[in-house]
Amino acid sequence: MKTLGRVALYTALSIAAITFIYPFLWMAASTFKPPFEAGALGLMPDNPTFENYKVMWARAPFGRALVNSILVATTITLAVLVLGSITAYAMARLNFRGRPLLNAVTTAVLLVPGQLTLIPLYTLIVQLGWIDTYAALIVPYLFNATAILMLRQFFLQIPQSLIDSARMDGMGELRILFTIFWPLARPALAIVAIFTFMGSWNEVLWPLLVVREQQLMTLPQLLTVFALGGGAGSLGVSLAAAMILVVPVVIAYVFLQRYFIESMAGSGVKG
Amino acid sequence: MPSVTFDHVGKRFGDTSIVEDFDIQVADGELLVLVGGSGSGKSTILRMLAGLETPTTGTICIGDRDVTALPPRERDVAMVFQDYALYPHMSVRENLSLGLRLRKMPKAEIDRRIGWAGEMLGLAPLLDRKPKQLSGGQRQRVAMGRAMVREPSVFLFDEPLSNLDAGLRAQMRIEIGTLQRRLRTTTVYVTHDQVEAMTLGDRIVVLAGSRIQQVGRPIDIYRAPVNRFVAGFIGTPPMNFAQGRLGNDGGTPVFVADGVRVALGRDVVDEGTADQPVTLGIRPEDLRVAAAPHGAAGSPDHALAGRVVLVERLGGTSHVHFDVGPHRMMASVTSDQLPDVGDSLAVRVLPERVHLFGADGRTLRT
Repeated sequence: MKTLGRVALYTALSIAAITFIYPFLWMAASTFKPPFEAGALGLMPDNPTFENYKVMWARAPFGRALVNSILVATTITLAVLVLGSITAYAMARLNFRGRPLLNAVTTAVLLVPGQLTLIPLYTLIVQLGWIDTYAALIVPYLFNATAILMLRQFFLQIPQSLIDSARMDGMGELRILFTIFWPLARPALAIVAIFTFMGSWNEVLWPLLVVREQQLMTLPQLLTVFALGGGAGSLGVSLAAAMILVVPVVIAYVFLQRYFIESMAGSGVKG
Repeated sequence: MPSVTFDHVGKRFGDTSIVEDFDIQVADGELLVLVGGSGSGKSTILRMLAGLETPTTGTICIGDRDVTALPPRERDVAMVFQDYALYPHMSVRENLSLGLRLRKMPKAEIDRRIGWAGEMLGLAPLLDRKPKQLSGGQRQRVAMGRAMVREPSVFLFDEPLSNLDAGLRAQMRIEIGTLQRRLRTTTVYVTHDQVEAMTLGDRIVVLAGSRIQQVGRPIDIYRAPVNRFVAGFIGTPPMNFAQGRLGNDGGTPVFVADGVRVALGRDVVDEGTADQPVTLGIRPEDLRVAAAPHGAAGSPDHALAGRVVLVERLGGTSHVHFDVGPHRMMASVTSDQLPDVGDSLAVRVLPERVHLFGADGRTLRT
């Protein structure tokens, strides 16, 4: 009976796993199929070809878009980590006037849906003359309330005695943050980095609003314009463009995944 | 010249007073222990000396330098924390050397100091390990080593033994005492454990309710506590107390309470204190126990009549708990002939060891 239950469980899990992974594998496989084969459900192309990638590359500046996306997402991620952890450190560990207010405001920001600020933010960007610039893509995302609150929560768990000890060893606050807190908060930083990078990487709406120049477009934006505008011409080419979007994220995730697993037990050594 | 001077130091957080009028000089090379319960302000005093808190009033000097407003790194003090506060991601060597590297000390000198401290504390084989890989006692030694390599003018210890088990605590207590006597570095040591205070301190400061209760050599405080709090706090097992009145029995001053009548061997009763409510205090080792014939009563020769409720046999000594009227008392005895539970006892009080406390808790007489 026990064995039977286990078989049923694993069968159900396998079906679920296949259901989840199949469309992705199919997409990957279809990018290597010629147009007449594109609709087939098989995972192995009968006539493998790189034609879809060549066509895609020739029709729109995807290389440039890839560089744009990497530049924008990396800059935003680094800024969110550095500026966010500085803010979080102050909110968690320093005493200053207005700290409760800052905490409240940061939390309140989470409650405001992004779509609500879209129009005021757009107007602001126009006023600043930042339309069709990297600044329009990057600056609005430099601070992230979710990241600040996540890091603050993690920083609150680090024992006060470590800060005291570092101060007595002669460290200033920034050095404490980057040489003591950062190594201990690696799991939290990794999670924030992954979510920030993914969020920025996949963002379509905002770039569509503030960038019209094709050379400045990010990858998902160009992909959207390209696919919806009928520029692709065939399913294989559309999917090839989508692959370019997905692969870096998958690689990044595989690379950072170990930080999720890495034990959080390292923070605060007690007897 | 005193090594550390607290000049009427006070600390408030909002409306709450944590430390009031703390006024102490610590002599060069002295080990001063601050002892008190939680909320007595002892850790705050240490943190103010370290520069981690700023006094609300008063000044703190190290040597002849006023350090009240200086940040921790400019004070030439090093601290050992209760939870050791070792950097978990750094090796023992990095933990030891970090403070020196930040002070731009030459590498050769850093190595010399780590070698010296490592040898003194037996850390040499552990230098490349992470704190996680060390036992509690080893972490404790690393924390001490980190303070030692700084060669500071003052050592601060903040309840350094609280996280260790009993056996290791006793061992590390001896090591700290030995080390301090070898280095002769001025040391301020905070603890809630009066045994640590008694065994380690050149002098003890007993704190309660944000204020100094008594300052003195351990044995002086033990023998002559200035109030009931200190009497009850210092000494294990703790002092016995009985509430009653002072009386006069044909010219002899006596302490009288329900079931208790103790003739006092000295002239403690004057006009002001006669018939006042007082508390009698007597340490367990100052009681002499003998089996008594049934019905024996307290007599003027300093005897109490009690009934045994519990006997704790510790080996060398035993604790005999007994009731005298409404008072539960305990005698510490070395005799092999221990009474059994339910036995009647005649307990003799050593009159010269009796403590008397007035209604305000202060010790009567001098």
